Amino acid sequence: MDFIDARQVPSGTQLAPDLAIVGGGAAGITLALALAHTPIQMLLLESGGLDFDAKTQALYSGVETGVRYIPLDVTRLRYLGGCTNHWGGWSRPLDKIDFETRDWLPYSGWPFPREELEPYFPRAQSLIEAGPFLYDTLAHGELPGALLPLGPGGVYNSFFQFSQWRGNPQHLPTAFGHRYTDDLKRIPNLKLMLNANVTGLQLAHDVRWVDRLDVATLSGNKFTVRPRHIVVACGGIENARLLLASNDVIAAGVGNQNDLVGRFFADHAIPRDTATLVVFGGEIAGFYKAAENARGAHFRATLSPTETFRRTRQLTGALITVEQHIELDETGKAAVATTSAALGVDASNAHAYSLGVGLELAPDPERRVTLTNERDALGLPRLKLNMTISDDDFARYRVTLIELARQLLAAKSGMLRLDRQTRAEWLSAMEWGNHHLGTTRMHDDPKQGVVDANSQVHGLANLFIAGSSVFPTYGASNPTLNLVALTLRLADHLKGVFR
Amino acid sequence: MSVSRRTVVAGAVGLAAAAGALAYEGWRLFGRHYPPTPYDDLLTLLSDRAAARQLGAAFISEHPNFNAATAARALRQHIGKQPLQSALAAEIARSQVTEAGHWVLPQTLVGLCALAAKA
Repeated sequence: MDFIDARQVPSGTQLAPDLAIVGGGAAGITLALALAHTPIQMLLLESGGLDFDAKTQALYSGVETGVRYIPLDVTRLRYLGGCTNHWGGWSRPLDKIDFETRDWLPYSGWPFPREELEPYFPRAQSLIEAGPFLYDTLAHGELPGALLPLGPGGVYNSFFQFSQWRGNPQHLPTAFGHRYTDDLKRIPNLKLMLNANVTGLQLAHDVRWVDRLDVATLSGNKFTVRPRHIVVACGGIENARLLLASNDVIAAGVGNQNDLVGRFFADHAIPRDTATLVVFGGEIAGFYKAAENARGAHFRATLSPTETFRRTRQLTGALITVEQHIELDETGKAAVATTSAALGVDASNAHAYSLGVGLELAPDPERRVTLTNERDALGLPRLKLNMTISDDDFARYRVTLIELARQLLAAKSGMLRLDRQTRAEWLSAMEWGNHHLGTTRMHDDPKQGVVDANSQVHGLANLFIAGSSVFPTYGASNPTLNLVALTLRLADHLKGVFR
Repeated sequence: MSVSRRTVVAGAVGLAAAAGALAYEGWRLFGRHYPPTPYDDLLTLLSDRAAARQLGAAFISEHPNFNAATAARALRQHIGKQPLQSALAAEIARSQVTEAGHWVLPQTLVGLCALAAKA
């Protein structure tokens, strides 16, 4: 059926679906697609419309403290498809180690291993349209160029694949809203409502159940939804905001009995020009610098610490990218001449490149979102984000870079210069991934997590959370593929709940 | 006219000797010269001493307490009679790397460069 415009729903209306999905981004749309043709009557409530609208987007405005971060109304998009409307399509499954509890990394670990998600990766890969699920196995097949030779050690050639919207002549990444509009309209057990802002989760008197959702439009309509079950899928920042702002019954907010909602926010740090890579034997293969095609995949090579190296050296994840061709200064030329001669290799055709990285941050409870006294146009408190990054985050990455340098020397294939030394230098080059993670983290213990292993909010029988806000540890991989797989797993769980 | 084999060989040797003398004289007149140092046995391991000096200067600016005599003793002991390449390969395998001008390099190579800068 056609989408419903909430602005046409009379105030005072009460709706009673089996399942309310709050948010129409990658997670919300995936959930609706996965529960299509089941007996579960779904209502998906999307704050925005089909395209960008400045007034709706302004609902995201907030303030920031700490390390400079992207403004909160810029780092996300509030219309159908959510952040997939501006994502770059970078895709990669989390590594096994990302799920493990590591004594040396406080607050680390998921309540289940990666094997639990693996059955869902093929469908997730299909939904994001990233081609065959190859990733690091690309190293073992034919490629349009040579892999960078590395000596034995802790860094290896790793691979991203890219989402490409099939049938889109510009080969943009799959924007879930536009791409799946027709599929969503064909789902008989789904009503999808646009311009519908959920402004509160109202708890039942026994505080074990969410009784109803308050919904409002910017045009002034207000109505309620009384679903049997609810999945909040508003994105990694807004999920926490909705829980915190729903504080009529419990002052701390829904699901926040242990003061965890909003804490442990994370994004991937993407500092530019972190190192200079010199390749002795000529130009590096093009697929390190930009995406190329092989075996049906649109892919790009990166350099990553192995799981063994991460365990033994107590490192977080990093995906090192080759960025621009650069010219060496005089000391750099002297270093290349001296080193190549000492190693007995010809560097007369050496090329130099700057290296970027996508860097996993260690979980930090003080990196968090909290409510402010300022309210948006719908009366919801705006957010304050306190952003942090520690010197240890940079120090861990330096260990990986030094290992990469060592392996280049061992292979006599190149050498490396570390280009960021001080905290000020790191921060001056800092960009962020727009990946919003961790604010409703998953843990079996309610004292350590907001949701359990099934994404159900601890202590609430009918409230679930979908999306990367439940990631308790983040890895370096971009979240979309992983959150889609996790949402498919949640869909399977919900089928059991409704059975 | 026939030329004997002996004449050809003698001529070739003569030409080679002349070329060698010319090259030596050219190097003596125009080549890079460094005053003798207590570390010449080590510095001969570097094929481009000017480049090594530049890199070594970067290291010394980061490590102003670098002591050339101490470093030279350690380098002689470490390298011993093995070829430099072998010494470097073994060092790289043992993760014995350090930074000079923020380049990550084998410690021995950096030590040699620093000596070149001090010499």
